[in-house]
Amino acid sequence: MASVSASHLILFIASLVIAVGVAGTFTQGISRLSQGIDDQSLEVSEEVRTDIEVISDAGSPVHNNSTNTVTLLVKNTGTADIPADSRFIEILVDGRYRTNVTITVVDGERWRPNNVIRLEIGGADLSPGDHRVKLIVNGDEEVFRFRT
Amino acid sequence: MGFSVSGSAAIVFVGIFLAFSTAYTASANGFERVNDARSAVDDEALERQNTALAVTNVTYDAGTDTLTVEAVNEGTTTLEIGAVDLLVDNAYRDNFTALTVAGDDSTALWLPGERLRVDVNATSRPTRVKLVSGPGVADVEVI
Repeated sequence: MASVSASHLILFIASLVIAVGVAGTFTQGISRLSQGIDDQSLEVSEEVRTDIEVISDAGSPVHNNSTNTVTLLVKNTGTADIPADSRFIEILVDGRYRTNVTITVVDGERWRPNNVIRLEIGGADLSPGDHRVKLIVNGDEEVFRFRT
Repeated sequence: MGFSVSGSAAIVFVGIFLAFSTAYTASANGFERVNDARSAVDDEALERQNTALAVTNVTYDAGTDTLTVEAVNEGTTTLEIGAVDLLVDNAYRDNFTALTVAGDDSTALWLPGERLRVDVNATSRPTRVKLVSGPGVADVEVI
């Protein structure tokens, strides 16, 4: 009889260990998924809240021939702060990706809603004619067309 | 054997319960966050649709080197003075020498129908002036 009880006890403990393992794995998996949903929702809400507008006057010169610089003024018309850093702003001039960019907030410390930044795109040797600059910030795309 | 099955089932059940409560909290918070963002963007879009402004008069006084820009809020939204941007020949100007709304220089609001007057220093006669409102609606005046 003692051997039966001992084997029952062993099976009982084994079943509990397996149950804890199954429950633990399951909880851990769902916890990772929840973290993913949380991060994703934060990113999506940032993308939704981001909105920019190029306020430069296309009728006035935006390209400086002597310094080969395109200067644009961009206003934050969304509801989220955007880091005023070229790492967060993708810039294409006539389809070519530009990295030589200087960003300055002209009316404040940070690029908050309603604030304006000055984008100085260097090395822009543009021939006379029509050109376009495309800005991508947090998935929000803005195209500015001008003539040199 | 009865205890083993019941005990294991209870542990697995508690595990599933905890997991789903975590998942539900994360999903609910996530949906709420995204819905809040969409709602804020909808509000902004409505505000933009209801915003209209017109630059009515731009004068340059060579004697005092002063450029005066007058504009009327022709929309139905109240605009913030601090969010209004002035571009003179594409140069951003915020060093206004005078800024009044309907003759009042202490207000921060530009109400529908009111006239905004901005004075800035300008050493030469500019050719284009652009006034941009907070929601991004703008008007250009060629002098």
